[in-house]
Amino acid sequence: MLNYIWLALLVIGIGVALYGDVSDISANKYHNGEEISCIIQFSQHVSSPPTQLQKMQCAVAIATQLPAGSGTLPDTIIQKAELFPGGTLHIFIDEQTPAILREVFEAQKNEFLLVHAKWESFNGREIPAVITFDPVRFVRINAVTNDGIIKYAKTAVELAIGLIGLMALWLGIMKIAEQAGLVAMLAAVLRPVTTRLFPDVPADHPAMGAMIMNISANMLGLNNAATPLGLKAMEELNRLNKKAGTATDAMVTFLVINTSNLQIIPASVIAIRAAAGSSNPAEIIGTVIVASALTMVIAIITVKLMAKLPGYRKQLLPTEES
Amino acid sequence: MIESLISAIDVLSILAIPALVFFIVAYGAIKKVKIYEVFVEGAKEGFHVAVRIIPYLVAILVAIGVFRAGGAMELLSRLIAPVTNFIGMPPETLPMALIRPLSGSGALGVMSETINTYGADSLIGRMVSVMMGSGETTFYVLAVYFGSVSISKTRHAVAAGIVADIVAILMSVWLTNLIFG
Repeated sequence: MLNYIWLALLVIGIGVALYGDVSDISANKYHNGEEISCIIQFSQHVSSPPTQLQKMQCAVAIATQLPAGSGTLPDTIIQKAELFPGGTLHIFIDEQTPAILREVFEAQKNEFLLVHAKWESFNGREIPAVITFDPVRFVRINAVTNDGIIKYAKTAVELAIGLIGLMALWLGIMKIAEQAGLVAMLAAVLRPVTTRLFPDVPADHPAMGAMIMNISANMLGLNNAATPLGLKAMEELNRLNKKAGTATDAMVTFLVINTSNLQIIPASVIAIRAAAGSSNPAEIIGTVIVASALTMVIAIITVKLMAKLPGYRKQLLPTEES
Repeated sequence: MIESLISAIDVLSILAIPALVFFIVAYGAIKKVKIYEVFVEGAKEGFHVAVRIIPYLVAILVAIGVFRAGGAMELLSRLIAPVTNFIGMPPETLPMALIRPLSGSGALGVMSETINTYGADSLIGRMVSVMMGSGETTFYVLAVYFGSVSISKTRHAVAAGIVADIVAILMSVWLTNLIFG
């Protein structure tokens, strides 16, 4: 199942991006190649365009309307700019810049709007010229590459590395709690519930203790304690697994309890609401508790019913791998 | 009354972790556990578990990243908008409902953005708050938990997890409309 979800996320993600880009290109959303006449203005008389390693401060007055269908511009807009050798022009975007230029500017992802200028003769304070936008293509595919693939591959490792310290801390604390008999005590108290939820796990198995600690941490909103304890629980549950690589009923039930997590103190939500100036940041606690409790009950019923389905049962039988 | 409730929650979330550490270590010491040695012994596993989940995290996060960056998320919200309107879910809360199971930091970002745009005390603001509190990053949990014990045949976990996500959203919508609507 995770196979199909993974495939769907990747294929749909890249497919939608590609489709969006191709339709942008065919509609020429970013006005690639369209010529716009303008006047390049200088503060004094100039007689030659900039040479190597030189740039000229100027302003660009665009006095025409952009081609039909692309919206209208005010009669004249004047933007500050810098002219470089070869006719490269950096136009600086400000509040009065019309949306159409702004859109291309945002897609180009530079600090300025990059255009190429051509002129007949370069002489005077005001030089008539024709500009074209630096072409913008495949905005979405580029976003997929940079903001999707490259960034998230890095994020994944950073997340895992960031987990090492907390992981070590909570696994160490957990070991003390285990040796001191605390976990066993907690497990004994909750035994009537846990033996029903996880009938395949012996009541005094270390997996029970770890699962109880994880679920308690989750309820209290202690996320950085919950993950290490949950991973510990999975490790213990895997010791009871008769078929390596396949999830047991207890694992799936535990996971679903985790994902439907009953929240008693949604601390981060309250913090954001307070920061946003809510008159009563904590007013949602009751609703969150009821919503997550009902969700957890329904999720547990669902997971228990699903586990009975023959298709899922069959996967537990010992088989030779093909 | 409300003020004191908020400050109680504040104090509790500030104290929870130090109190837990203090209590367990002190109790261990009373029970004559060699706390230092035992702690180190347990902590040793931390590194291996964290490293073991890297491939699974990369797989799931990259797929989610591609899905979001390419604009598939917006397309999906447009496609299911008729359904959500029918159940009384404002379209402004749809991005939250979709991102919640995929990305924790993404959901936090969407929540802050929505609340800042529509106000924390608006129905929309309250609804995304409830969604944030009652949902969970299902796919991250699935990838990390199963990854840590190298399980690739997840059986009914994904289906049940998605059911739980949908139920959590429906509950949030229904209860928020009921209580604050």
